[in-house]
Amino acid sequence: MSETHPSEKVEDLEIRLLLEALYVRYHYDFRDYSSASIKRRLRQAREQMGFASFTALQERVMHEPTVLPRLLRYLTVQVSEMFRDPPYFRAIREKVVPHLKTYPSLKVWVAGCSNGEELYSLVILFREEGLEERTIFYATDINQEALHTAETGIFALDRVQLFTENHRKSGGRSSLSDYYQAAYGRAQFDKTLRRNVVFSDHSLVTDAVFGEMHLISCRNVLIYFNRGLQDRALGLFGDSLIRKGFLGLGAKESLRFSHNAGAFEEFVREEKIYQKRAA
Amino acid sequence: MITSRSTDFSKTTLGLDPPVALGLMAALVFFLISGAIGYLNLQALRDGNLSITHSHDVIVALDELLSSAQDAETGQRGFLLTNNERYLEPYNAAVRAIPPKLNEIEQLTLDNPAQRPRIAALRQDVDAKLAELRETIELRRGNGLDAAVAIVNSDRGKQAMDAVRAQLSAMAGEEARLRIQRLADMENAQKTALATSWMSGLLGILLTAAIGFLMRRATLARRTEEWLQSGQVGLAAATMGDQPIEKLGNSILEFLARYVGAVAGAIFVDKGDAYRRTSTYGVPQGATVLEQFKERESLLGQVAADRQIMVVGEIPEGYLTFGSALGQHSPRHLAIVPASVDEAVNSVVELGFLQPVDDRVVALLEEAAGAVAIAVRSAKYRQDLQDLLEETQRQAEELQTQSEELRVSNEELEEQGRALKESQSRLEQQQVELEQTNSQLEEQAQQLESQRDDLEQVNASVQLKARELEQASRYKSDFLANMSHELRTPLNSSLILAKLLADNPEDNLTAEQIKYAQTIQSSGNDLLNLINDILDLSKIEAGHVEIRPEAVAIERLTDNLKQLFQPLAGDKQLGFTIDISANVPPAIETDPQRVEQVLKNLLSNAFKFTETGLVKLTISRAGDDQLAFAVSDTGVGIAEEQQRRVFEAFHQADSTISRKYGGTGLGLSISRQLARLLGGSIDLKSQQGRGSTFTVMIPVVYDPAKVSSREVENATPSLPASSLTDMPRPAPAPHKLEDDRGVPPDERRILLVIEDDDTFAGILRDLSRDMGFRALVAPTAEEALELAKAFMPNAIVLDVGLPDESGLSVLDRLKRDVRTRHIPIHVISAGDHAETAYSLGAVGYELKPVKREQLVEVLQGLETRLSQRVHRVLIVEDDPVQREAVAKLLRSLDVETVTAGTAAECLKLLKELTFDCMVLDLSLPDASGYSLLETLSHEDAYSFPPVIVYTGRELAADDEQRLRRYSKSIIIKGAKSPERLLDEVSLFLHQVISELPDEQQRMIRKARHRDALLEGRRILVVEDDVRNVYALTNVLEPRGAIVEIARNGKEALAVLEKTANDPGETDLVLMDVMMPVMDGLTATREIRKNPQWKKLPIIALTAKAMPDDQQRCIDAGANDYMAKPLDVEKLLSLVRVWMPK
Repeated sequence: MSETHPSEKVEDLEIRLLLEALYVRYHYDFRDYSSASIKRRLRQAREQMGFASFTALQERVMHEPTVLPRLLRYLTVQVSEMFRDPPYFRAIREKVVPHLKTYPSLKVWVAGCSNGEELYSLVILFREEGLEERTIFYATDINQEALHTAETGIFALDRVQLFTENHRKSGGRSSLSDYYQAAYGRAQFDKTLRRNVVFSDHSLVTDAVFGEMHLISCRNVLIYFNRGLQDRALGLFGDSLIRKGFLGLGAKESLRFSHNAGAFEEFVREEKIYQKRAA
Repeated sequence: MITSRSTDFSKTTLGLDPPVALGLMAALVFFLISGAIGYLNLQALRDGNLSITHSHDVIVALDELLSSAQDAETGQRGFLLTNNERYLEPYNAAVRAIPPKLNEIEQLTLDNPAQRPRIAALRQDVDAKLAELRETIELRRGNGLDAAVAIVNSDRGKQAMDAVRAQLSAMAGEEARLRIQRLADMENAQKTALATSWMSGLLGILLTAAIGFLMRRATLARRTEEWLQSGQVGLAAATMGDQPIEKLGNSILEFLARYVGAVAGAIFVDKGDAYRRTSTYGVPQGATVLEQFKERESLLGQVAADRQIMVVGEIPEGYLTFGSALGQHSPRHLAIVPASVDEAVNSVVELGFLQPVDDRVVALLEEAAGAVAIAVRSAKYRQDLQDLLEETQRQAEELQTQSEELRVSNEELEEQGRALKESQSRLEQQQVELEQTNSQLEEQAQQLESQRDDLEQVNASVQLKARELEQASRYKSDFLANMSHELRTPLNSSLILAKLLADNPEDNLTAEQIKYAQTIQSSGNDLLNLINDILDLSKIEAGHVEIRPEAVAIERLTDNLKQLFQPLAGDKQLGFTIDISANVPPAIETDPQRVEQVLKNLLSNAFKFTETGLVKLTISRAGDDQLAFAVSDTGVGIAEEQQRRVFEAFHQADSTISRKYGGTGLGLSISRQLARLLGGSIDLKSQQGRGSTFTVMIPVVYDPAKVSSREVENATPSLPASSLTDMPRPAPAPHKLEDDRGVPPDERRILLVIEDDDTFAGILRDLSRDMGFRALVAPTAEEALELAKAFMPNAIVLDVGLPDESGLSVLDRLKRDVRTRHIPIHVISAGDHAETAYSLGAVGYELKPVKREQLVEVLQGLETRLSQRVHRVLIVEDDPVQREAVAKLLRSLDVETVTAGTAAECLKLLKELTFDCMVLDLSLPDASGYSLLETLSHEDAYSFPPVIVYTGRELAADDEQRLRRYSKSIIIKGAKSPERLLDEVSLFLHQVISELPDEQQRMIRKARHRDALLEGRRILVVEDDVRNVYALTNVLEPRGAIVEIARNGKEALAVLEKTANDPGETDLVLMDVMMPVMDGLTATREIRKNPQWKKLPIIALTAKAMPDDQQRCIDAGANDYMAKPLDVEKLLSLVRVWMPK
């Protein structure tokens, strides 16, 4: 890695230009994403989409908006599972929910909801805890396709086994099978789960606060951002949360080195759940 | 380390310094020795004394012995003379005393061997004497005097007596000699004692002096030691904690400089390649202070290399080439200290002094160096650790990213696997299906064969049908032709006869009859034309029109037309021209009859619809193979929406046209069909009132292949006439005026200026900034409310005329919202709304134009309003245990708590006292929390503090909605609710209404409960949408208003008429704009026409949100408007604002 090959330099330049072009043309801003990761993913996209160079890819994407969703599929990592990291959800259930129960109505924001696994997990958890009725969930992502998938709530049936296991470990009070119907190798989650969900296109990179939230769950999104962008996103969360609102991050994410660390205090340290300070 | 050393110290020397202890020990020894010497001296003196006394005793005893002997002799002599026994008494006493005396003498002289033989001799002599005495006495008694005298005369007694005397005197002499000798000895001893006393006194003084000196030295040393130690302790304290290296440097320098009295200082830390300055002390900004140095560079570098402290004294003033960091400050003395740990220097401290650096300071610095080095090393380690941690975090994130990506590819692979599996199974299934299909195919083949046979049969029958159809078509054509013929024949005769009648050749008809005849004739003509047209059209449609192409000279064509229409033009006094472009070929190949028919049709239409101006035929070439015949007129024209339809059969631009201009309406339709048959087309350009141009395109050479089939007419439905509804409201012009909203929060108070005029807003902003406010500017009501909620300004200056909503309604909404109602609002307006503004809770009112001084006063007034006081909280809760618990909880906030168990109690308290905040449980024994809140909001008598609802119930959405009207903070009891309650209450207490004068308090109170304003008031809702009516009724009726409903403008007017003279006259009208029968604007205008209702407030409700729509409402006479969908709060505010007081 240390020796810089001339071709590598050109590649870097091409990537920079491509990202700039994506931003100016389509307002998708990947410029401040973590560079190593974005580079890997762009390489993958280039290879699999069959372009000789990023410049060629850029040329195509600029003139054919229909290519964009394909490219976006590579650029945004859409992967999760329901009740991923069960202890996180257990902590939400046992530590955060008692606080949330003191509010007559609630707003929850799942930022970067991807295909909706985290969203459905939270909705099911809230239903089990008797909070769903008074909650509005906002599920946002920059990838329209993913949002659409999330809205349909259909997952491959073989993944559901894992989901069920996770759900049980997270302290689930009901059977996960109460919430889906299996058919044709797929599991479709109950559409009543989406009753209180607003799906929306929202970018943590460019967009602003849209409401006052009681809980924001944003897991494994910040890892794709560089430090500056992480700060922006965390600032956005800070502004969106009510006083004493809660923020949940991914297992490997931390507020510790952020400029916004002062606005939050650790609530459940090991699960990366933070609480906005009162002041 | 320091403490352990000091304990060692105290153990070994009992808390004394070693020299002092040694001195003290010497003193001890000295006193012991001098005591011993004194004792010995005393002993010698006493011995001398004793021996002298002894000698004296011996002499005395000897004398006594002698006198006893003489007493015995005296007694004997007395007895001898008198023979009187009485004289024997001394003798007897002496005889008794002598033996013990002798023993005594013997005892006393035991120590002296020289006396012992004398004692023995003496004893004999005394015995001899006593024996002589006893003999004489015995003789005297027995033998009388003479015998006795004889013995006496024998001198035996005298000799014995002399011997005794001699012995005694010898012994006395000996003793006297001894005494003299002993006296001399004693003299010597006394001299010795004196000498030794002098000596020890002198020595004692010397010793004391020595000890004193030692002790002073020890004390001084200890003081220095203490100073050094407390220095180290202080340094340790200064370097304590996880300080980053710069802060650590500052702490070290600050402490050291202050402790040792340095005036300036700098600390340099080893950063690998060089020592970099991390902190300075007492160095003025801009002073050129060395940034970094390397080893052996300048004095600092030298010190770092030598690892030796360096003290430089007496630096001359302005001695700047010194290479030191502190040159500019010119301290007079410098100490440069290398701080090293484990033999490695990791930082250098330089301190500048005005006074010389003493050893003490050097010692301290030397000792401190180690601590500094360790602290610096720890700080560096910490820094490294922090960096490493951050790096680790970054790597962890990167790892996670990669793992996520891996998961993605994994999932993709799985997905693909799944897809493969699926396609495989699908393939298998397909194979099976194929086999099935195969057999099915065979089956189908057979079926097909039979179907083919069937088909052939059907075919035959179809052909038969086709023939029949053809026949039918022919029949139809024949029928039409026949019918037209049959019609024409009688029509013809009636036409001729009518003509004859009209001509009145015999002059026997009245004018009227002639007119009748003419009418019959013209109607017949019309009928004839119609029949011709229908025939033509049906012919064309049936495909019975044959095109017979031949060479047509354009000139001949135009000549014919000119001939035909020139007279008509003359009749109607219209211009008629035919223009032929130069590039038009002289002849074309087409069907002249048809072309002429089309052109005639168009031209006759043109003449028909043109009253003045001219009709023009322009022939030009269009493209390579087409000619364009454009017939244009200056007639009535055709409206755009009609243009498509004029070509349809039986259509004219206006149904009234046929009456005015005559004609069947089939002409254009036929023309178009003909043009099509000729391989061309017709199109139309027209503008209503400006005339029309029909352009016929015809190929230069007729080609049957190019004739398009008959097109489907009107395939596209016409656009609905009204699709321009509900345009989205344009966003207000972007806010241009820069303000302080981006400025990070500071101590300044926030002033919100709500004003749409940029100039005035700018003035207010600048002024408020000058007065120390942080100024926000909102040009619209919407933005103002947002800002007010987002920034919670300390004060607001409000303009009434805002582009989107009345400022008064903004005022009302701010005052209704618990979060913002404490904010003092000063209203500035061009119109006089003072009364309304005050009643809504404004603290002041200013009429535009406003002078600068007035503005200053306004702002000062707001400024003084912002002050604090002690807080009081009311707790309303039925359960005494809970009540006490909550009270206890809140007392931790340092507030006065007052409790109430029932609604009645609560009301009583609120009547008597004012509270900053109220915690309310919804279930009370005598009333529900809702009704309590309702009461509070309706009745003026009670103060209505901000309410925190604290309830055990879960709330349905509409319950919450109801409560939200009175309380912005609702807490559901649960495990964590006490925590939140505490939090919310403290939040309220930090932003409560500040003290106001009584009058304004009253004003505010009135404003706050002004739902009383709606009580019994009559509101007419004019609205056709049932749901809206329901919604409005639901909003207004619970507040005591009487709602009347009209479904349209007409009904509204009727209702107003009806109630005009009633006592309960309508107070306010809510008028929807879009309604059937009579729209809202018209209705409003009608209402305003009646002088009785000139002042009736009308609020227009419009779904259109364009600014000119709103202007239209106002122009029509509405007092205000409101955009749909309706916001209940906003609507109520508006109603309150306009409701006549």
